[in-house]
Amino acid sequence: MNLTRNPELLDRLAASYSLGTLHGGARRRFEQMAREYPQVRAAALLWQGRWSAFSEVQAPVQPDPVVWTRIANLLQAEGSSARLARQREADTSKSPAGALAWWRGLALAGGLATVATISVGLWSHQELRENTQQKVSVLQNQLQMAQADLQAAPQIQYVAVLADGKADASMLVTFDPQHQQLVLQRVSGFKEAENKSLQLWALPHQGAPRSLGVMGDGKLEQLTAQETDVKAIPALAISLEPKGGVPSSTGPTGPVLFKGALIRRDL
Amino acid sequence: MDLLDRVATRDEVALKLLYDQTASRLYGLALRILGNKEWAEDVLQESFLGIWRSAGTYRDSLSPPMAWMGMLVRSRALDFLRRRKAERLHLNTPIEDVDALVQDKDTQGPMQLVEASEQAAALHQCLQRLEPPQRQVVSLAYLRDLSHTELASSLKLPLGTVKTWVRRSLEQLRKCMARHV
Repeated sequence: MNLTRNPELLDRLAASYSLGTLHGGARRRFEQMAREYPQVRAAALLWQGRWSAFSEVQAPVQPDPVVWTRIANLLQAEGSSARLARQREADTSKSPAGALAWWRGLALAGGLATVATISVGLWSHQELRENTQQKVSVLQNQLQMAQADLQAAPQIQYVAVLADGKADASMLVTFDPQHQQLVLQRVSGFKEAENKSLQLWALPHQGAPRSLGVMGDGKLEQLTAQETDVKAIPALAISLEPKGGVPSSTGPTGPVLFKGALIRRDL
Repeated sequence: MDLLDRVATRDEVALKLLYDQTASRLYGLALRILGNKEWAEDVLQESFLGIWRSAGTYRDSLSPPMAWMGMLVRSRALDFLRRRKAERLHLNTPIEDVDALVQDKDTQGPMQLVEASEQAAALHQCLQRLEPPQRQVVSLAYLRDLSHTELASSLKLPLGTVKTWVRRSLEQLRKCMARHV
C-alpha cells in the first residue's frame, strides 16, 4: 500500500512510530516506507518534534543545592587539568627528550626521502612539463574569456545543496549577489502538504536562525536577498511551517527537513 | 535565551544562570523518567556537564533551548536506565512513588510554560484533555521508551487495557495537536 496516498493513515502511523508505540512488523514496514518516500520521513520528523515537547511539560522539582556544587567542582577540576596539560606540553617542547629527538630525526629523514622522489619524478617528466605549460596558457585564455562572459551572466557565488537526514540531495540553492537573487531548485520529489510551506533559514555561527524567505510550490523559486544576509553564513536549512511561513523572530517551529553547508565559490 | 551561546564560549557565569533558570524543570523531567532522586541528581549533573561541553552544537539542532536540553536529559536518563538493566540492577521503583515526588503535576499553571516552546504549550493543553491515567500511559510510553508489555508490568495493568489506552489517547492527542501546530 502506498502510504503517501493516504495522509490520514500516514499521520497516524507517523505519530505512533515517533511516540515509540509502533512495534514489530508495522514498525519495520513504516521504516521501509520512510527510506523510500521523503513525505513519510517528513511526517515522522514532524511528530518527533511534537512529541519532544513531552520533555518540556513535566512538573518542575527543585533539585538539592549540592548538585550545583558538584557540577562547579567538576568544572573547576576540568579547567585546571586542561591548564596542567597545556603547561606540560610547553615544558616538553622547551627540552626535547632523547626519544622525541629521535622521532623527529626519523620524520625529517622521511620528509627528505619524499622530496627526493618528487624531484626524480619531475626531472624525468621535463618534456611533459613544457607540454603542460602550453596547455595551461591556453586554458588561462579560455578562463579569461569565460570570465568576461560571466560578467553578463548571473554570478553565482554561493551554492548550497540541502539534503535530508538520509543525505539525499533535495534542494539546490544558489545566490547571485550582483542581482541579489536567491534561487531555490527542488531536486527531489518532496512535496509539502497544501496547508504547509517550506521556509529557508540562514544559520549563523552565533545567534538564532534568520528567515531568508518562504517558498512557493513551484519547482524553481526566486527570493530576493542581500549579500549581507548570506555572507559569513556557514549553513542553510529548510523547515516545514504553517502555510505562509512564520516571522523570522520566531525561529523555525516545524521540523527541519533539509540542511546543508553554504559554500562561497571564488572564481 | 542566548545563554547557551555564552556557555559555548566557556562562560561559567552563563552556565550558572542557565542552571538557575532550568534545573528544576530538567530535574523534574529526570525524576519522571528515573523515579529515583539520587539517580535523577546524577543525571542532572551529567547533563549539565554535557551542556557545558556541547553547547556549541546546539545551534545545529535548530531546536528551542528548552527542547534541546530536555532531549539531552532524556537521552542521558534512558542511557542510565539501560546501564542499570545491563548490570542486572532491576529498577523496581513503582511509578506511584514518582507521583509522590512530583507534586501538583496536574496544576502546572501557564506561568510555568512561559519559556516553553509553542509545541510544549500545545502538548500541555492537549494532555489536559485526557483522563489522568491515560495521560500517564502516553507520557511514560514516550519518556521511558517503554513497550506495551513493559508499560503493563510497571503500571500493574492488564496488557489489553494498556493497548486500548495507548491507542485511544494517541488518537485524541494526534487530532488535538494537529489543530495547534
